[in-house]
Amino acid sequence: MIELQDVWKEYGNGTSALSGVSVRIKQGEFVYVVGPSGAGKSTFIKLMYREERPTKGHIFVGGFNIERLRERQIPLMRRTIGVVFQDYKLLQKLTIWENVAFALEVIEASRRTTQRRVAEVLDLVGLSEKANMYPRELSGGEQQRVGIARALVNKPSVIIADEPTGNLDPENSWGILKLFERVNDRGTTVVMATHNRELVNATHKRVIAIEAGQIVRDQERGDYGYED
Amino acid sequence: MSETKNAGTMDMRIRTVGRHAKEGFKNLFRNGWMTFAAVGAVAVTLFILGAAIALSLNVQNMSISIENELQINAYVSDSVTVKQLPELRKTLADLPGVRSVSFVSKAQALRKMEKVLQSNANLISGLGNPLPNEFVVQATDPRQTAALAFRVQHVKGVEQVQYGKSIIGKLLAVTAAVRDTAIIFIGALLVMGIFLISNTIKITIFTRRREIEIMKLVGATDGFIRGPFFVEGTLMGVFGALLPSAVLYGLYNWLMRSVTLFPPFTLLPADAVVWRVFWVLILCGVFIGAWGSVMSMRRFLRV
Repeated sequence: MIELQDVWKEYGNGTSALSGVSVRIKQGEFVYVVGPSGAGKSTFIKLMYREERPTKGHIFVGGFNIERLRERQIPLMRRTIGVVFQDYKLLQKLTIWENVAFALEVIEASRRTTQRRVAEVLDLVGLSEKANMYPRELSGGEQQRVGIARALVNKPSVIIADEPTGNLDPENSWGILKLFERVNDRGTTVVMATHNRELVNATHKRVIAIEAGQIVRDQERGDYGYED
Repeated sequence: MSETKNAGTMDMRIRTVGRHAKEGFKNLFRNGWMTFAAVGAVAVTLFILGAAIALSLNVQNMSISIENELQINAYVSDSVTVKQLPELRKTLADLPGVRSVSFVSKAQALRKMEKVLQSNANLISGLGNPLPNEFVVQATDPRQTAALAFRVQHVKGVEQVQYGKSIIGKLLAVTAAVRDTAIIFIGALLVMGIFLISNTIKITIFTRRREIEIMKLVGATDGFIRGPFFVEGTLMGVFGALLPSAVLYGLYNWLMRSVTLFPPFTLLPADAVVWRVFWVLILCGVFIGAWGSVMSMRRFLRV
């Protein structure tokens, strides 16, 4: 479960990104976060995995009180959530397999667990055959699948995605969305910030719209609602 | 149950250490040119440091042996009988600031002179023994030699006093200056070395900030992220110390063979000097490398 209570975020240069945001996302929900560029979507996402700290307010993610978290506890918290980025953030020097295994390696998982889990998630995202290739040999859509596999390999209860289809063509974007839906079907919460109107309008999921740092709309089975 | 769990984490710890060692070693080659630059910077700095240490060890050794040769020759008046000699010796030994007093009898002094004159010894054979009995007095602190000589001069029974009056002051000033300069020089070199290395390592870390960012985002602890960098930095420090140690060893031996010197200006044996320098360089290298890498990556851990 994710909960934000009256969260404010002001950056050091005085710009105010979020002004009093409260929201509750239940375990197993699929939520789109939409809104114009610079409205606060990214800040909203970054607060959830503690890349940014709120100026005021409370944030709870899967039992962690994010704004009270000690420096030492941050790694433990991050192991319970998977983060997917617009630019995939893969390591070019590592193979697909190694990129995914990396997430388990750094949390000191046993070798056997690593073998099994990496094989499972690569199978899930349909890249088992390309396990030994390098990121630059893959299409954008495939690279994003690797990013998702890496996010899933820890069995997180929450997946947070920041514009995961931002660099992809419509066909690949659909593939990524289908993947998130499958993950969500298994009970994992998915929070996805997006600009992709087609996806949002076609899937009728919960939509949270953020404008000027505030939630202006929170709809079950909503639509994108902007003309771009 | 809990036992197997403990065994499991223990096994993992060992594996993690192994991973850090492997990764750190691999990174040396992955970042070949940066490694080369960093090791080069360490090596050059430590070479200068090592040479400075070798030099100062020798200068110190020379100055100690020179200082130890500073002695006061107190010639005993002929009016002092043989029976009175032990008493005179005690008087001299009881003077403040005296380290040692040794006695050279007329006969010993004569034999010494005959040795010096060798085949010409017969020149003095007809003269009987014109040499006086003599006490050789050394000061606890060589710098106090002149003051002590003055005191010895006024002991009853001492006829005349001799010591290297003119050279003492100059000699002591020179050895002190050399020692002080060496210490300042070595200190400055250490600071410069740390600065150079932490900067170089900062660049190698900068090229890998993406890797660090991803590690942080998937939940690696700071300690885990530091591991390979720590190993890498330490290894660079060790290599940066081995290189100049080998070069210094060769150079020093070459110098020993090609330069002939006379006591007290002799070089210390190569093994003694180079081993001491080697351990200092290794320690400095490891310290500089490990500390430099940990310090310079602090900034990148704030994700």
